[in-house]
Amino acid sequence: MKVDKTLIASVALHVLVIGWGLVSFSARSLEAPPPESMPVDIISADQLSKVTAGSKTGEKDKPKPLVEKVAEAKPVDDTAGKITEKPEVKTEAAPEPPPKPVEKPVEKKPDPPKPVAKHEPKDEPKPVEKKPDPPKVDPIAEALKKEEAKKPKPKHQAKAAPPKPPEPKRERVFDESKIAALLDKRDPTRHAATGETLNSTSSLGAPRGTAATLSQSELDALRARLTKLWNVQAGTEHPEELIVDIRIRLTPDKRLAAPPEIVSRGSSPRYRAAADAAMRAVLQAQPYDMLRPATYDQWKDMIVTFDPRQMFNG
Amino acid sequence: MPLMSSFPSAISLTRRRALIGGAGVAAGLLLPSLARAQTRLQVTEGNVAPLPIAIPNFVPGTPSDGEVSNGVAQVITNNLKRSGLFAPIDQAAFIEKITNIDSAPQFANWKSINAQALVTGRMTRQGDGRLKAEFRLWDVASGQQLTGQQYFTSPEYWRRIAHIISDQIYERLTGEKGYFDSRVVFVDESGPAQRRVKRLALMDQDGANVRYLTRGSDLVLTPRFSPSTQEITYMEFGQGDPRVYLFNIETGQREIVGNFPGMSFSPRFSPDGQRIIMSLQQGGNSNLFVMDLRSKSTTRLTDTPAIDTSPSYSPDAARICFESDRGGKPQIYIMPAGGGAAQRISFGEGSYSTPVWSPRGDYIAFTKQGGGQFAIGIMKPDGSGERILTSGFHNEGPTFAPNGRVVMFFRDPGGGGGPSLFTVDISGRNELKVPTPGYASDPAWSPLLS
Repeated sequence: MKVDKTLIASVALHVLVIGWGLVSFSARSLEAPPPESMPVDIISADQLSKVTAGSKTGEKDKPKPLVEKVAEAKPVDDTAGKITEKPEVKTEAAPEPPPKPVEKPVEKKPDPPKPVAKHEPKDEPKPVEKKPDPPKVDPIAEALKKEEAKKPKPKHQAKAAPPKPPEPKRERVFDESKIAALLDKRDPTRHAATGETLNSTSSLGAPRGTAATLSQSELDALRARLTKLWNVQAGTEHPEELIVDIRIRLTPDKRLAAPPEIVSRGSSPRYRAAADAAMRAVLQAQPYDMLRPATYDQWKDMIVTFDPRQMFNG
Repeated sequence: MPLMSSFPSAISLTRRRALIGGAGVAAGLLLPSLARAQTRLQVTEGNVAPLPIAIPNFVPGTPSDGEVSNGVAQVITNNLKRSGLFAPIDQAAFIEKITNIDSAPQFANWKSINAQALVTGRMTRQGDGRLKAEFRLWDVASGQQLTGQQYFTSPEYWRRIAHIISDQIYERLTGEKGYFDSRVVFVDESGPAQRRVKRLALMDQDGANVRYLTRGSDLVLTPRFSPSTQEITYMEFGQGDPRVYLFNIETGQREIVGNFPGMSFSPRFSPDGQRIIMSLQQGGNSNLFVMDLRSKSTTRLTDTPAIDTSPSYSPDAARICFESDRGGKPQIYIMPAGGGAAQRISFGEGSYSTPVWSPRGDYIAFTKQGGGQFAIGIMKPDGSGERILTSGFHNEGPTFAPNGRVVMFFRDPGGGGGPSLFTVDISGRNELKVPTPGYASDPAWSPLLS
C-alpha cells in the first residue's frame, strides 16, 4: 500500500508539474495574431493600364450620379428635356461643349461651400479647384491661340479632329458598346442633371483615368525596338556626357513626320557621335508599328532620351 | 455634359479634363497640343556591338591604280576591325558596286545589308607622280555625308594615307581621337633562348613596315617613344654599365643621355619631349632624376634608401607616377613633377610595377604580380577603379595608344617559346595579337604621326 501511496504521490506530482508546465508554456507561447487577409491579384502592366483605363462599356457602379453642379432637385420634366438634347450632342461632337463650361463656373461659385461641408473630401476639392481655374484659362487660351497662329500645326489638328467624330457613330452601329451606350442614355441624362452633391466622377472611368494614354506595353515595345537598334560603343567612358534627347514627330501611319530633332545640348565630338547613334536608332525604328492609332495623340510628338549611364556603371 | 459621357475618345477625355479644370473652350481644344510634347521615353539600354560598316574597294582613278585602291580599303578595314568598335561587312555581301564617288550611293542597297556607315573613296595617280586620295564617309540611315577629305602623297606612303583615313572615320563615328596613324617601337628577339639577339625595331601600329634600328650586338631594353617627337630613348647594355640612350628615328643618330657613374635605366620622356626622367643607381638603391636635353642639367627628384624606378609623367607634366619598394613590396606612388611628398596609390594584393600614365590622363596602366600570375591592369590616378585587363603566366610592359583607348603589352607564354605583342581595349575587351616578324617584347607606342 505504501508503495502505492508514493506512486500516487509521484503521479500526482508529475501531473502537477506537467500541468503547470503546460499552463506556463502555453502562456509564454508567441502570440501570432492572424494577419489581416489581403486579397492580392497579380496582373500584368498591360492589365493595369486596362484597369485604370476608362472604357465605353464601363460599369455604372458609382453610388453618386455624375453631377457638375449642385442645385435644387428638379422635377422629371427637365430630365426628359435633356434626353432629347443628348443625341444631338453626340452627333455634333465638337461645337456644343463651349456654352456649357462658360455657364457652369458662373453658377458654381455660389454653391460649392455647401457640398464641402456635407460630403466626402475627394469629390469636393475638385469643384473647389474649378473656381480659380476659369481666370487662368483665358491667358493660356490666348497664348495657345497665338502659338497656333504662328505654327503650321493646325493642319495636323484639323486632320486629326475630323476622323474622330465619325468613329463614335461607327461604334454605335457595330459594337457591343453600342448597346451599352443605348442603355446608358438615361444615366448620362442623370449626370447632366443637377443633384444634391457634386460628383465629378464619370461613370465611364475615373476622371483621371488613362483611357487613351500609351499603355505600358506600348511604351515597352517602343523601348525594346529602340534598345535593339541603338548601337552603343563598347567601353564608353564618362557616359554621363553622352545623354541625348531626341524629339520625334510621327504621322498617323507611324512614320517620322519630320527629321528627328536633337533637343539636348552638346558640342564635343563624342557627344556628336552619340547623337548620331541615337539618330540612327530612331530612323531605323520606322515604322513604329507597336503604337496604337487610338493613342496617336500621345505619340505623335515624343521626346526620347538615350541615356547610356546604366550600361557603364563602374 | 452629354458630350463627355457619350464617347470616351482621347479628345473627349482630354477635353473633359480641361473642362473640369474650368478651362475655357479654346483651351480645351488647344491644351492637348501642350501635352503632346510631354510624352517622354527613357532608353537606358542599348546594343553594345561593333558598328557595321561597309568599306568597298576604292575606285581607281586610272586603270593602274587598282592595286593601291584595293590596298587602302583593306588597310582601313583591318584597322577598324582590330579596334573592336567596328564590324566591317564582307565585300562579298555588297549589292552595289561603287564606281563613282562624286554621286551619292543608293543607300537602300547598303541598308539591306545592315550597313550603318559606308566609306567610298578613290585613288588617283597625278601627272606629277603624286597620289591623290579622296574619301567620303556616309551615314546610311540618314543618307548624310559625315565627313570627306582628300590627300596628296608620294605613292609609297599609301599605307599612311589609309591610316589617316581610318583615323578620320574612327574619330567621326566614335568621337574619340584615332590612333591608327602611329608606330610602335619594340625589342625584336631572334635566335635560340641561350643566345637571344635583341634588336630595336620600329613598325606601323598594325605590324606593317618593320625596320630595325640596332644591329643586335648589344642588349637593348625598355625603348620609349617621345610623346611629341620622333625620338626614342632606351637602355642598352654596352661594354660597361647599362646606359640610357637617345635615338633619332629621322636621322639615325644615337647619343648617351648624361654621363653618370653607375647604372642609368628605365628612361622616359616628358610630355614635351624636352626632358628625360630616369633611374640612377646609387649603391644598392636607385633614385629618380630628370635631365633637360638642351641644357643637360640634371635634377634629383627622390632621395630614399629604396629602389625608385619606372617613372612616367602625367600628360600635363605636373605629376609623376613611379614604382618604389619603400613600403616593402614594389608599389605605385605619385608625386609632384618637381619632387616632393609621394603618395602611394596601389593597395591591392601583390606588387605593382612599370606604371605608365595614359596620354588622356585618366588612367595609369601597370604590371601586377601576385599569386604566380602577371597581370596588366589600369587604375585611376587616385588609385581607385583598378581594372585587370589580362592575366597569365607572364604579361608585362603596358604602353598606351595615343588616344588612351588601347593598351599594348608583351606576353611570354613560358615553355620554349618567346614573347609576343598584344593589344587590349582599356575596357578589357578585344585582346588581339600584334603581328611581328619574330618574338617581340617591350613595346612602346608613338604619338600620332600627323
